[in-house]
Amino acid sequence: MTNPYQQSQQSQHGAAASNFPRSTSYASIVSGSQQQQQQSATRSSALGFSHILDPNPDAELDTHNPYYPELDRLFSRPNIPTFGGAGMDMDTGYTSRNQNENGHNNNNTNSGPWPPPARLGSNFSMSRAFDMFLNKEPLSFADAADVDSAAHKGTGAGANPFLSGGTAPNFLAPSYLRGTTYLTKLEEQHRARILAEREREASVPGAKTQTRAGVLATNGNSHHTLSPMSGKVHTGGGSHRGVAFDVVEKSALSQGLVEEEVNPLPSRWNMDDREPSLELSGDGYEVTFTGRMSNEHEASAVRADHPMNPACGIYYFEITVLNKKKSSTDDMPPIAIGFSSQMAALNRAPGWEPESWGYHGDDGNCFAAQNVGKAYGPKFGPKDTVGCCINFRLGQAFFTKNGKELKVAFRDINFKDVKAGKLFPMVGLKKTGDHIWANFGQQPFMFDIDNYMLEQQQIIEDEINRVDTRILAPGLSETELIQQLVLQFLQHDGYVETARAFAEEIHSEKSALRLSAKEQVKGINIKDDEDANNRQRIRRAILEGDIDRAMRYTEQYYPNVLKENEQVYFRLKCRKFIEMIRKEAEMNLKLEDRNRRLEEQRSRQGLGDNDEEMQDEWDDEREFYIDQLGKLSMEALEYGQELRAEFTNNPSREMTKHLDEISSLIAYPHPLQVPEVSHLMDAKGRVAVAEELNSAILTSLGKSSRAALENVYAQTSVLLEDLAKDGGPGAFVTLEALFRQFPPSKLL
Amino acid sequence: MSNWQAFQQQGHLDPDFAFREHIFAQFRQAAQRQSQAAPMTSSTATATPKYAFEARVGHTKTPKNDINALILDYLTMEGYPGAAANFSKEANLAPQQADPSIKTRQEIQHAIHSGDIETAITALNALDSDILDKNPELHFSLLRLQLVELIRQCYGGDITPALDFATQQVAPRASINEQFRVDLERAMSLLFFDHDSNLSPELKDLLSSDLRRKTATKVNEAVLVRQDQRREAAIRALVRMRAWAESSARSSKIKDLPPDIDIGLNGENAVEFQGLTETNGHEPMITT
Repeated sequence: MTNPYQQSQQSQHGAAASNFPRSTSYASIVSGSQQQQQQSATRSSALGFSHILDPNPDAELDTHNPYYPELDRLFSRPNIPTFGGAGMDMDTGYTSRNQNENGHNNNNTNSGPWPPPARLGSNFSMSRAFDMFLNKEPLSFADAADVDSAAHKGTGAGANPFLSGGTAPNFLAPSYLRGTTYLTKLEEQHRARILAEREREASVPGAKTQTRAGVLATNGNSHHTLSPMSGKVHTGGGSHRGVAFDVVEKSALSQGLVEEEVNPLPSRWNMDDREPSLELSGDGYEVTFTGRMSNEHEASAVRADHPMNPACGIYYFEITVLNKKKSSTDDMPPIAIGFSSQMAALNRAPGWEPESWGYHGDDGNCFAAQNVGKAYGPKFGPKDTVGCCINFRLGQAFFTKNGKELKVAFRDINFKDVKAGKLFPMVGLKKTGDHIWANFGQQPFMFDIDNYMLEQQQIIEDEINRVDTRILAPGLSETELIQQLVLQFLQHDGYVETARAFAEEIHSEKSALRLSAKEQVKGINIKDDEDANNRQRIRRAILEGDIDRAMRYTEQYYPNVLKENEQVYFRLKCRKFIEMIRKEAEMNLKLEDRNRRLEEQRSRQGLGDNDEEMQDEWDDEREFYIDQLGKLSMEALEYGQELRAEFTNNPSREMTKHLDEISSLIAYPHPLQVPEVSHLMDAKGRVAVAEELNSAILTSLGKSSRAALENVYAQTSVLLEDLAKDGGPGAFVTLEALFRQFPPSKLL
Repeated sequence: MSNWQAFQQQGHLDPDFAFREHIFAQFRQAAQRQSQAAPMTSSTATATPKYAFEARVGHTKTPKNDINALILDYLTMEGYPGAAANFSKEANLAPQQADPSIKTRQEIQHAIHSGDIETAITALNALDSDILDKNPELHFSLLRLQLVELIRQCYGGDITPALDFATQQVAPRASINEQFRVDLERAMSLLFFDHDSNLSPELKDLLSSDLRRKTATKVNEAVLVRQDQRREAAIRALVRMRAWAESSARSSKIKDLPPDIDIGLNGENAVEFQGLTETNGHEPMITT
């Protein structure tokens, strides 16, 4: 099938853009908002949401999506017009998301087709599914660092930046998996690839359009994934991850461990893993039976492009039968949905072979690796949507019909015993006219799988809340354990005053709890730890941006630390440079701000009486600013040169690269407003440097660089990873969700 | 000046600024998590770990920003205003939330810890006049605790005040709920037993300071819920998750788990507790 996007692109962007149909949108995605705005200006808003809102969606579908005649017919059913409407947009691939986005952007400037969210919510029974479109979240990112870090944890509370922010074209993120460790890892990998491409692109100027095309191919879900080969992406292991993190902070690279790649989600039917009489269309979502009628024991099956990963915890997909309606409901087509390993033959329906399970529409039976079925559920046929849900933790699978959950079909599936290892979504067709369309999560599902997932997560959460924490520290109640963890953290990290205040408060609590005044309460001895005080002084200086002071203290108290930790020394020196640029940039902004306000004032008042006086005053002030600015620039420049000279012979590629990066800051008149570099100056960088130095000092003192609370965190993280691997309970909880509960710390 | 502010000045002001800031800060932290790995790894790599598990733990990033936020969240929610204020200062963090009730919550907790239930109820009503009406169970818990405290005071003397309180205040409420009635009866039986000798475990629990602590926690959670805040500090969930993850891993026979996963509370940085007596029946907390 041809790509519908190319045509619409041509018609709207003219010849210039049409040569490289994808490059515009990709660029807009990686480089921020400008191009998107440009697009939204040129692109007609009619492509936005009008067809969803139109009371007669069929007409819209016909005009906008002539490529899906079958689907149009299907979705002309009055009870699911919204489903089809949204689907069309998503279906045309990543570009349609940009269209959505632009539709959204347009809303700010014209009344357009964008409805008030409340109306959408109340009008559509499946409104939940449209959350991603209704999202009021930012559509353009101000800060490249934000975009980059968004990729690491792409799932904020309820908002998916991949859809709303458009940071990752064509990334398959089924709603029920958002926020899970598995999907987060996929997002990281995906993001890393895009950044790797961007970097390569930057280093090979001539190859622009080509590498952009390459990005799309590496997505694993692109239009060309009908062959399994293009789905397998060779990223060369960890280096790409490194590049992704590189943008924010350099030091992560030295980390020796590289997480293993997780395999992508099933995203389409696999052209190379089908019985030949099946034909794929509709971007690999549709399957049609084109062969002759097979004999009774045969059928034609196709598997998806990627296996289901048990680390999902649960996996769900749906098919919709597109066959023409028959007069009799007794005569349902022999279509079957299920899953199998690659051991199962393709000329047999799902469920009939070893390592194959299926639910058959013509008799409503389910089959578990044998020819004899069990009576299971209703028959299904034309216009029915049937879903298949595998719960890896319970070793069970059930099906759904038109959004309703049917009973458990298969119990005690031992996934570890599957010889061929991996299980794929599968569908079986048998007769001429058999035709289905699959939803792998690229669209909202008919069944409320999100809620099912929430229930599963709740089960685990309840289990967690019932646990007895005394196994961690015998003899301590939960409250006491936490008090000790916090107190130990405060002392370990050198928060001297806080530790003291906290100890006092605990003491007063304990005194209050005494049952008689005769009892004595143990005091907590907060040692007047000179080291702790020193470390806090150093930290304080860095957090305030005064690197010189921090280095002076460090030299004074721990003369060997900087000598023995070149990396830390280097980071401090670089941070000093950044602070200088920052100071200059801030002053520059202040100056301009003054200028602007003066202009405004003048235009408001016209030429006033005291205008001249004000002008003089302002001139003086400006002179002072400009003078200061000049000095700051000179200092920064000189210091930058010193810095280069000092580290010029350093063999570390990382250092050289970081130096190059921060040196570029000096080239921008307003580095704080340039998203490509402003992240380098973020105040959070101070925390990173401060903690690096603090760890180095602790190590030099022979102390553990970690407090017990940090051990608790790291151990939990590793244990959860182990517990998630084979679809265990770890797939249903994340540390991230825990930290999303409360507002993150904000630096003053 | 943050990039956001810069962006705002350019005119792209977003109404949902706070929420965005929240989300984005999460992302930044997540990214920073990566950045803080290096020093950790270099320092923990000194001793060769015996188990791969330990090596993996050593390589796991522990994001300081998150940990700091976790600490601030705990100090704020569980009512340690002094420590919370100091921590904001020392870690250069904005206070977690504008929570004017932190001080009041702490005062109420303190009153309950001290056994002064009357003061606690008065303060609680002043803070939120509906809270006890809406939570009959909470109200009953407080009254029962007050009765226990009265019985403790009367012990070995005139028991009239306790009897009066029980008949006038507690009994009318206990009649509406079977569990309340059982609880009241149990509390009343304290009047007839020798507190120092063999009390049944249930009765012993009633007299222990844990009852005060538990009741105080319940009240604190109820206030937070009434203010549409989370019920408890996230650090509790973290600690439980850690305990759960270990026992789940052991019961599902995850390979290569060390026989003992130490959280490191008893290391060189252990908290020292002075004095010898321990008041609440637990093991002494001396850790060095």
